[in-house]
Amino acid sequence: MMPAMAKLQFCVLFLVYVASQCGGANVDVVSSAITVKNVDRTIDISSQLVKINSKITFENTGKSPVKSFLLAVESSSKSKLAFIGGKDSNNKDLRLVETTVKGYDNAKFWRVDLKESINAGSTASAVVETVYSKALQPYPTAITQQEEQLVKYIGNLYFYSPYPVTSQKTNVILNTKTVENFTKVKPFSQLDGTIAYGPYTNTAAFTEKELLVHYKNNSPFLTVTRLERLIEVSHWGNIAVEETIEIEHTGAKLKGPFSRYDYQQDHHSGPASVRSYKTLLPASASDVYYRDTNGNISTSNMKVKKDSVELDLRPRYPLFGGWRSHYTLGYNVPSYEYLYYSGNEYLLKMRAVDHVFDDMQIDELVTKVILPEGTTNIKVNFPFSVTKLPDSLHYTYLDTKGRPVITFSKNNIVENHIQDFQLRYTFPRILMLQEPLLVVGFLFALFLCVIIYMRLDFSIHKSEHPHKD
Amino acid sequence: MTVETQSKARLSQLTSDKQLTFIKLAVLSMAAILSFATRLFSVLRFESVIHEFDPYFNYRTTRYLTEEGFYNFHNWFDDRAWYPLGRIIGGTIYPGLMVTSATLYNIMQFLNITIDIRNVCVFLAPFFSSLTTIVTYLLTKELKDEGAGLVAAAMIAIVPGYISRSVAGSYDNEGIAIFCMLLTYYFWIKAVNTGTILWGTLTALAYFYMVSSWGGYVFLINLIPLHVLALMMLGRFSARVYVAYSTLYCVGTILSMQISFVGFQPVQSSEHMLALGTFGLCQLYAFTQYLRYHLSPANFELLFKALLTTLLATLGTAIVVLTVTGKISPWTGRFYSLLDPSYAKNNIPIIASVSEHQPTSWSSFYFDLQVLVFLFPAGLYFCFAKLTDANIFIILYGVLSIYFAGVMVRLMLVLAPVMCIVSGVAASSLLSLHVKDIEPKVEKHDKKKKHENNLVFRSEVGALFVCVLGCLLVSYVFHCTWVTSEAYSSPSIVLSARAHDGARIIFDDFREAYTWLKMNTPDNSKVMSWWDYGYQITAMANRTVLVDNNTWNNTHISRVGQAMASSEERAYEIMRELDVDYVLVIFGGLVGYSSDDINKFLWMVRIGGSTDRGAHIKEADYYTGSGEFRVDAHGSPTLLNCLMYKMSYYKFGLVYTEGGRPPGYDRVRGAEIGNKDFNLDVLEEAYTTEHWLVRIYKVKPLPNRGL
Amino acid sequence: MSLEIESMVRYASPINPAVFPHLTMLLLGIGIFFTAWFFVYEVTSTKVSRDLFKELLLSLVAALFSGFGILFLLLWVGIYV
Repeated sequence: MMPAMAKLQFCVLFLVYVASQCGGANVDVVSSAITVKNVDRTIDISSQLVKINSKITFENTGKSPVKSFLLAVESSSKSKLAFIGGKDSNNKDLRLVETTVKGYDNAKFWRVDLKESINAGSTASAVVETVYSKALQPYPTAITQQEEQLVKYIGNLYFYSPYPVTSQKTNVILNTKTVENFTKVKPFSQLDGTIAYGPYTNTAAFTEKELLVHYKNNSPFLTVTRLERLIEVSHWGNIAVEETIEIEHTGAKLKGPFSRYDYQQDHHSGPASVRSYKTLLPASASDVYYRDTNGNISTSNMKVKKDSVELDLRPRYPLFGGWRSHYTLGYNVPSYEYLYYSGNEYLLKMRAVDHVFDDMQIDELVTKVILPEGTTNIKVNFPFSVTKLPDSLHYTYLDTKGRPVITFSKNNIVENHIQDFQLRYTFPRILMLQEPLLVVGFLFALFLCVIIYMRLDFSIHKSEHPHKD
Repeated sequence: MTVETQSKARLSQLTSDKQLTFIKLAVLSMAAILSFATRLFSVLRFESVIHEFDPYFNYRTTRYLTEEGFYNFHNWFDDRAWYPLGRIIGGTIYPGLMVTSATLYNIMQFLNITIDIRNVCVFLAPFFSSLTTIVTYLLTKELKDEGAGLVAAAMIAIVPGYISRSVAGSYDNEGIAIFCMLLTYYFWIKAVNTGTILWGTLTALAYFYMVSSWGGYVFLINLIPLHVLALMMLGRFSARVYVAYSTLYCVGTILSMQISFVGFQPVQSSEHMLALGTFGLCQLYAFTQYLRYHLSPANFELLFKALLTTLLATLGTAIVVLTVTGKISPWTGRFYSLLDPSYAKNNIPIIASVSEHQPTSWSSFYFDLQVLVFLFPAGLYFCFAKLTDANIFIILYGVLSIYFAGVMVRLMLVLAPVMCIVSGVAASSLLSLHVKDIEPKVEKHDKKKKHENNLVFRSEVGALFVCVLGCLLVSYVFHCTWVTSEAYSSPSIVLSARAHDGARIIFDDFREAYTWLKMNTPDNSKVMSWWDYGYQITAMANRTVLVDNNTWNNTHISRVGQAMASSEERAYEIMRELDVDYVLVIFGGLVGYSSDDINKFLWMVRIGGSTDRGAHIKEADYYTGSGEFRVDAHGSPTLLNCLMYKMSYYKFGLVYTEGGRPPGYDRVRGAEIGNKDFNLDVLEEAYTTEHWLVRIYKVKPLPNRGL
Repeated sequence: MSLEIESMVRYASPINPAVFPHLTMLLLGIGIFFTAWFFVYEVTSTKVSRDLFKELLLSLVAALFSGFGILFLLLWVGIYV
C-alpha cells in the first residue's frame, strides 16, 4: 500500500509542478523585436464579471524568428484575475506558462509559446481571453429595496502590453444606457449600451491610464463563497454527485427595511435582488434533490432539455445585497456517461466543477472524488492548476477498510473552468462481490449464534419435562 | 385477527406445532412491521423532518450529545435560551431519549451505516412502537394467553391514541416512554408471578429507563404500589410480591435518583410518598406475619396494637415537621390539576394555556380508541371473571388511566396501551368462545359440553357473532388508518393546503423565516417571540431566544407578554431592557392560518398581567365594551395600538386578501382590520415570509443624540 | 498514462439497474422464506430431533439469498454501495 501511495503522491506533485511551473521560477526578458500592430479589445462588464477579449496582431520587427511572446496583467488587477486563456489564428488553444520579467515585479506575466514561429517581418495574431471576478464595485455600497444597483468599473484604458502598441481600439459593453459617468478620452463614442474608445495610436509599452465607468448593473451579483463537490463512484453503475453551496449576494448591500408588501405588489421592486437562478445539470441526471440544513426546499422547478437538465432554483428567500444562503444539490448520473474501462483499468472523466448559474464566480472550490473500496494506482490529471489536498478514507455502507478519497481545491473559479479532469485507477472486478458477501457472512454468523444458543443449557437442575414452546 | 384465531383453533386439532409457531411469528412480526409502517405517512407526504415544537429541542440536544459527548452534554449550560438567564440543560431534562438515539447513532456509525442523526431521530418513535408491539404481546401473554397477546399487539400497532405521539418525526419523550412503561409492567408482572429477585431487578432497570425518559414515570411509581396495596387488601399478599416490590423499590429508587433532574424527589416529594409508604408497609406486614408465626395470639395482639400506635404517631409528626421545614416539597400545580381538572385553569395561566393540558372531550375518546371503548368493559369483565395477581394489576391500570386521561388530553397516551391489552383479552376470549361453536369437529369432540348447554343454532349464532366482531375489527383498522393519515401526520412545520384546482400548495414559511434568521442576522442576536416558537428558533435558526417551550420562568415569559401587549413606547423600554435585536411574530391573516399570535394574544395579556410588573396590563382593556375580542374598527383602542397588533398588521391594510372584500381583510378573524394606516417608530420590518406567516422586525437602535 | 481514452470502453453496471426491484423481491422473498423455515425449525425441534446439518444448510441458504436480496434492496433505494 505504502509505495503505491508514495508513488501516487509523487505523480500528483509532479503534475501540479508541471501545470504551474512552480510560479516565479521562470524568468523571461521582453523581446525588443516584437511590436503589437493592432489590438481589438472588448470589455464586457454587463454581468458581475469583467470579461476582456483581446484580438492581438504581433509583428516581428527583428531579424530572427520569434517563438514566443509575453502577456501581462497590470498589478492593480492581477489579484482579481480568475482566468486567462489564449487561442491562435486557427482557433487552437495556446499554452500559457506563468513567468516573471526582471524590473516588473508587480505585474504578472505569461509566456505564450507558438507552434509556428513568427518569421522576421511577418505577423501573427492571437485572441486572449481574460476574466476578472470582483472587479466591479457597487457604488453606492448600500441601497434601499427600490433602488437600482450602480457599479463602478476601474480598468486600463489601454491594452497592457510589454510591447509598444501601434494601434488599438476598445469596446466596453454595458448593456444599459444608464451611465452615471465614464472616462472621456477622445476619440470615443457611446452607442446603445456600448462605449467605444479609440483608435489610439502608438502607445508605449506598459502604459496605464485609468478607465472608469460608473453605470447601472442589475444583473445578479451572486458569489459562491464555497462549493464542495462530492463525486461518489459506484461500480454498480452509478455516479452520485452532491454539491454543497454557500452563496452570497455581493452587490450593493440592502439598506433599511425589507418590505414584503412592496416586493409582492410590484415585480420591479428590488431590481438588484435575486429571486431565482438556473442551474444546468448533465442531461442524464436523475433523482435530483435540493435541500438545506432545515430540510427540503420545495420551491424549484425542473425542466428536462435535450442536452441538459435545467433546474430553476429558488432560494427560500429572495437574496438582497449582503444576504447569504446555503444549500445542497445532489443527483445521480449513470456510470457509462463518465466512466471508461479496459480490463481492470478504469478512467473517470468528469467535470471538476459544474455550472451553478450563468456568469458564476466561485471563491473556493473543493472537489472530492470517492472511489470504490479496493481501488489502487490512482492517478489524476487536472485541466488547470489546483491545490491537491491529502488523500483520505471514507467509510459508509458495507465498508471495511474504507474508500479512497481524492481531494483538490482551487480558488477563484469562473465558468471557463468548467473542464474535465481525468482520474485513472485499477479496480479488480471480483471485489464487487465483497459487499454482498459481507452481508451474507453477517447473517450467517447471526444464524450460527442462534444455533449455538439453542444448544446451550443454563438451567441448574434438569427439568423433568423437556421444555416445549 | 379473526383469521388467525380461527386458524389457531383449527391448528390445535392438527397439533401441528410448526404451523402454530410459524403463524404466531408471522402475526407478531407483521404487527411490528405494520406499527412502523403506519407511522410513515408524514415522511411519504412531506419529507423526513422533525415535527412541531418540543421535538426540535430534543433534536437539538441530541445533536449536541452526538457532537460533544456525554459529559459536555451533562454539563451543558445553554446560553441560547432564556436570555439573559440561560438554562442548564443537563440538569433540567430527562436524557433517556437523547441518550437512546445517540447510542443507536453511534452503533450505526461504528458499523459504517452512515445515517444522518436527523433520520435516527425521525424514525426513533416508529421503531420504538414496533418494540412496544412486541412487549404488549409479551405482557398480554402473561395476563391471559398467546391469542390475546397477538390481538393486543395487532391493536396497539395502529391505535390512534398512541400514534398521535409517535409518528415519524414526532421525536418526543413519549415515543420511547410508552415502550419503557410497558416493559416495566411486563417485568413487574413476571416478578409478581415468579417472585424472583432477577425479575425484580429487571423491573427496576426498566423503571430506571422509564425515569430517564419521561416525567410520566410518576404514574408508574404510584400504580405499582397501588397494586401491592390492592393485593394486601385482597389478602393476596405473598412472599412473591414482597420480594418483587422490595427489590423494585430499593434498586429502582436508587437508580432513579441518578437522573439529575429527578435528584432527591423520590424521597422528598409528595408524588413519591405512596411508593415509600407502601414499601414501609410491606416490611411491617412481612414482619407482622413473622411475629404472628412465632408468638401466641394474645401476645401478638398486644404487641401489634402498641407498635401500630407508636408508628402512626411518629410518622404523623415526621410528616408534619418535614412539610413545615420544607423538606417535603409542596404539592405542585401539575399534580393538583390531575386531581382537580379546574385547578390549573384557575390558578396558573401558563399551564392552562397549553392545549394538551385541557380536559379530554368524550368525542376524542372515540376518535382515539374507537372500538376499544366498547371492548374495554368486556375485557374488564373477563379479567374479573378469572382474578389473578396480574389481572388485578391490569384492572387497576385501566381504571386509573381512564380517570387521568379524562383530566388531561395528553394522558390519552397512557390509556391507549391498557385499552389495547384489555380489549385484546376481550376480543380473544369472545372469539375463542364462539369459534368453537362454529366448528363441526368441536361438537363431535366434546360431547359433554353439548349436553350441558343445549342451544339451538349454536353454530349459526357463533358464526354471526364472529362476523360482527370481525366487522368491528375491520372498521377499527380503517378508522385508525384514516385518523393517522388525516389528523396525526402533519408535521406542522410545513403546512399544506388544496388550491381550487386540487393542486397542493405548500406553505413552507416557518423554515423560510428560520433559515433567513440563521443566515442573515449576526450570530449573537437576541430574538424575542412568544414562547411557543422558542425551541424552533434555537434549533433551526441557531439564535438566542428570550423564552421557550420549557416555560420554567413565569416572570420572564410574563415580561415578554407585557412587551407584546404594550404600546410601542412602553414595549421599546422592555425590549431595550431585555436586549432584543429582532422580534418574530406569527401572522395567519393572509392565508387563514388560525393558530397565529393574534389568536394566542389573550394568553399573552393574561400571562403578562399575572405578575407585579405587568399590573398595568388588564385583560378587560383588550375587549370591546360588550366584552368581545375584535380586531376591526370596533376593537378596543388598547388592542389596536399594542405592539403585537402593529407587528402583525403592519402594511396589511394595503393588501387585498379575498375577492369582494376591502383591503386589510383578515381571513382568520373574518374582519377588516381596524387600524390600517400606521407606521412603526421603534421597529423596522426586517423580513416577512412569502405568505406573511412569519414576520420578523428589527429593533432600531436608540436615535442619535441631537437628531 | 498507459491507456488512452479512445481504447477504453464505456463502463455500465454489470446488472441493469432496471431489474433491481425484481431481483430484490425475488431474492428477499426466498431469503425470508428460508429464514422463517430456519427459525420455526429451531423453535419447534427438540434437542433430540435437531439435525445440525439441516440447520447449517437452511441458515446458509437463507443467508445467501437474504444477503444478496439486501444488497439489491440497497441499490434499489439509491444507496449505491
